[in-house]
Amino acid sequence: MKQHLGRQAGVQNVEVSLRDGKVDVTPKEDGRIDPAQLLKATYDSGVSVAELDMTARGNIVKDASGNLALQVEPNQSFTLTSNELSKTLEPLANSATQVTVRGQLYKKPDGKGKKKADTSAPLKFLVLEIQKKE
Amino acid sequence: MTKKQLALLLLFLSPLIPQTQAEIKHIEMRVEGMT
Repeated sequence: MKQHLGRQAGVQNVEVSLRDGKVDVTPKEDGRIDPAQLLKATYDSGVSVAELDMTARGNIVKDASGNLALQVEPNQSFTLTSNELSKTLEPLANSATQVTVRGQLYKKPDGKGKKKADTSAPLKFLVLEIQKKE
Repeated sequence: MTKKQLALLLLFLSPLIPQTQAEIKHIEMRVEGMT
């Protein structure tokens, strides 16, 4: 799996901890990494993903439907799942202020059974921590 | 210092100033069924 993930675009380094069941992915500084692609690559290597967390810096934007999103590249953004923290980011929408946030992009649905996750669905970002506003 | 000298100084120093650009900094996955 480490080699499989390491071959994905924008990936600098992959650290796998067998004991904790944790996989740390360090993106390249100037590369574009696609978390949905990582999720799919992990499933393709025969491993089930329970959770995917991401730390990212970007701008808060509001789309035409009024949804807040974190824009990390000119053509890459993640719609925010509404919670108390995302509401505090609303005044920064479409401003030049950059935020560094940690949050959850994917969580395996509850319930028993080996139902395969839908990796084609767009990932929504649940903000868990606002680390910096600048 | 003239305006021209100041402009040149800023031009040469600008690559040394760290730029804050948007990016994904880190991704962590919790996985199951890994052997």
